[in-house]
Amino acid sequence: MTAIIESITKELLVAASQETAFTVFTGKMDLWWPKTHHIGKCPMVELVLEQQQGGRWYSRHEDDSEADIGYVLTWNPYGKLVLAWQVDGNFQYDPTLITEVEVNFIPEGPKTTRIIVEHRDLEKLAGGSKLIESMDEGWGMIMNLYKNVAEGIYRQ
Amino acid sequence: MQAQALPLADLSFNALGDPTRRAIFEKLQNGPLAVVHIADGMSVSRPAVSQHLKVLKEAKLININQQGTRSICEINQEGIRAIRNYLDRFWNESLAAFKTLAEKEEKNKQQKINTHKTPI
Repeated sequence: MTAIIESITKELLVAASQETAFTVFTGKMDLWWPKTHHIGKCPMVELVLEQQQGGRWYSRHEDDSEADIGYVLTWNPYGKLVLAWQVDGNFQYDPTLITEVEVNFIPEGPKTTRIIVEHRDLEKLAGGSKLIESMDEGWGMIMNLYKNVAEGIYRQ
Repeated sequence: MQAQALPLADLSFNALGDPTRRAIFEKLQNGPLAVVHIADGMSVSRPAVSQHLKVLKEAKLININQQGTRSICEINQEGIRAIRNYLDRFWNESLAAFKTLAEKEEKNKQQKINTHKTPI
């Protein structure tokens, strides 16, 4: 019996069309993803999601190296996206690990979309000492980064 | 919200920093085990195992329950919850940034449409 841990589910209303919401989520992930959240050996320059079924999901770094995060399990524009999150609790890419991130884009009006994100199979991540370390040391940094991103977007 | 999670996370990290304790913790991911069987297949003395279990228990990564004459060890959900909490916050913050960006993108599209309209 493996310990079961409930999925993370997030729901938000976005004042944007379903198409805009989907294309920003998938095509501009680099602009909303926190730059400090990666598993590369040096600073991240870009986060890439290849926009197709089976497409790679990875970060690119200052030394031109790449670090895999996972891949596209379901590519169904503009309604549904399922990603395989293959980074384990030790911040290591593990090709045999699949935790799923399912994102549904539900149109509620011409310019209103409900986004439902579910990150499931989290018990597979258990034993993550380095992830917890990162929470200790990196959380303040991540918070500042988000703030900068959000404010930068407002300023533009 | 940082202050609440840190002490437990700190203990969990230190507890899993040791390879033997990590091995024990991973073993328990397959299910509860009697304390006497934890050292099976591992080159660790029984007193050493007791010490490791004590540290894991203090970090709330495992529970030890008495069942008759046997002590049973199992994973404590609270330790795993630290990982879940981390990801939960991660998604909150990154989705907030996504929402802001998507709404700005929508406004830009709208402005482009409006500027291309012929004045009546």
